[in-house]
Amino acid sequence: MDIKDTLIQFIQNDLIDDDQPISSNEDLLTTGLIDSVRVMQLVNFVGETFTIEIAPEDMIIDNFISVDAISAYVASKKS
Amino acid sequence: MTYLLHQNILQQAERAPHHVAFRCGREQYTYGELAHKMQQLTAALQDQGVERGDRVGIFLHRCIETALAIYGILHTGAVYVPIDPSLPEERVRFLIQDCDIQILISHPSQARRLRGIVEGEEKLLAIIGLEKNWTIPTIGWEAVWQYLPAAAPRQLETDLAYILYTSGSTGLPKGVMHTHYSGLCYARLTAQLWELQPTDIIGNHAPIFFDISTLGYFTGPFVGATTIISSDAHVMLPTSLAKLIEQEEVTIWYSVPLALIQILQSGTLPQLDWSALRWLIYAGEPFPPGQLRALMELIPNTRVSNAYGPTETNQCTYYHLPTPPLEDTPVPIGYLWDNTEMLILNDEDGQVSTGEMGELLIRSGTMMKGYWNNPERTQQSFYQHNSASGLRHTFYRTGDLVQLDEHGLLHLLGRKDRQIKTRGYRVELDEVEVAILTHPQVKEVAVFANVSGKDESKVLVAAISWEAELPIPELKTFLRKKLPVYAIPVEWINYPELPRTPNGKIDRKLLREVALYK
Repeated sequence: MDIKDTLIQFIQNDLIDDDQPISSNEDLLTTGLIDSVRVMQLVNFVGETFTIEIAPEDMIIDNFISVDAISAYVASKKS
Repeated sequence: MTYLLHQNILQQAERAPHHVAFRCGREQYTYGELAHKMQQLTAALQDQGVERGDRVGIFLHRCIETALAIYGILHTGAVYVPIDPSLPEERVRFLIQDCDIQILISHPSQARRLRGIVEGEEKLLAIIGLEKNWTIPTIGWEAVWQYLPAAAPRQLETDLAYILYTSGSTGLPKGVMHTHYSGLCYARLTAQLWELQPTDIIGNHAPIFFDISTLGYFTGPFVGATTIISSDAHVMLPTSLAKLIEQEEVTIWYSVPLALIQILQSGTLPQLDWSALRWLIYAGEPFPPGQLRALMELIPNTRVSNAYGPTETNQCTYYHLPTPPLEDTPVPIGYLWDNTEMLILNDEDGQVSTGEMGELLIRSGTMMKGYWNNPERTQQSFYQHNSASGLRHTFYRTGDLVQLDEHGLLHLLGRKDRQIKTRGYRVELDEVEVAILTHPQVKEVAVFANVSGKDESKVLVAAISWEAELPIPELKTFLRKKLPVYAIPVEWINYPELPRTPNGKIDRKLLREVALYK
């Protein structure tokens, strides 16, 4: 399963209480879709699942605003 | 003469129409734009039958539309009621029913949450801010911009302007009623206290259902400054929030301590330039002195203030820290500000002597009118004082215990309901918790009092979670060395983990309710 699918599945099943599917470019943060507790769960999930260390300087909106953004950030850390 | 909150927008629109009033992310309103849009929103609201005095709900996350919703509702002569979109559905329904709300202002991103609420709620007549095929009319913003601007109805400063719901430690939430008068008193006092100018950039962190938002949303327009509304994304990611303060060159920042502590802990502040920040103001909770000191040492050119006040009075005291905290004792809540007076009363409602601890009562221009639809709670919370002239003056019982020191500084000592009388003895619940937590096998504990028995006496109850469970008799033996016998909880309830509120605090209310039903 590729990075985006892994993320979408985690967010859909574990973070959001909703049947409506989320798209990979959907804004996860600005409209309170995911709250502050779940954001940390998401950050931890990304770090553990893709085995990358996420420094505080990287915990910024640009890197976590959408599944696409997270995927790009993970790819940049892996290369 | 300004006597209504929305008059500030109209006046600034004439004075400086191109000056930015509010900005959130990449979206912004100048004063000219906001004045025009709020009048169009008035037309749309009036078209939906909104009349003077009606309560209109605002169901929005942190976004630019919050400013438009607030001022549009005020300009229509109605009362704005902010609703936290993350509340459980039944709590949202309670607010809608309690306030008799028929119209909500919202946003397409809230569609998921609104759908369930709309389906079960007959009281709602329309929603402005999104377009859906639902059972009630929905009016998108594009449709609102088709309206011609409408005039405001005749209103008085003593008319209701907004209702903020507070949860409190017991019972259902209470709707704190504020008027244009109390809102403008606050705007005037804060503008004076921190010398706010049109050139100021106010950093707003709080959602509009917390009264900390009134600095950015009311005082900003009062002086003609620009208010930066932090988005939910910024609030959740402290690194981004710290960058926002630098980027926007915020001159006045106002938030709860937690936001600043998170920024401090991210370790990213030393690389940022906060030199534009001339005042950093915090409120809502005490700021742990060690962390406040660490923060202040990183921003030596920024003055720091502690602001204190319950939602019922907005703000009532201030303390400008002369230096970073020198010791680890709590920062004082400071001095009463203008247009405010206080009483410090003992348990018999007699005035304490100087230096003695007592409950703080406040009378001020910024105080609430009462609790919406709740005359009993309103009466309980007010105290009628016979003034020298013979007139009765109404004071608000804050429920906070304070002490006035020999320098005239007020110190916050705790909540009155955290100090209870059991079996004739006075007990500080926080001290009991601290004592219990010293046992290495205890993970978390919350101590509270419930009434018990026919004589309605109070018994101490402890909700406890363990690192490694210990039989209660053994814990009590341990506690007898630290606490008087009457301060040791009588009832003990085990939890794998103590339940938390959305704010991350221990949900003491739930714990009490569970204990009552046992």
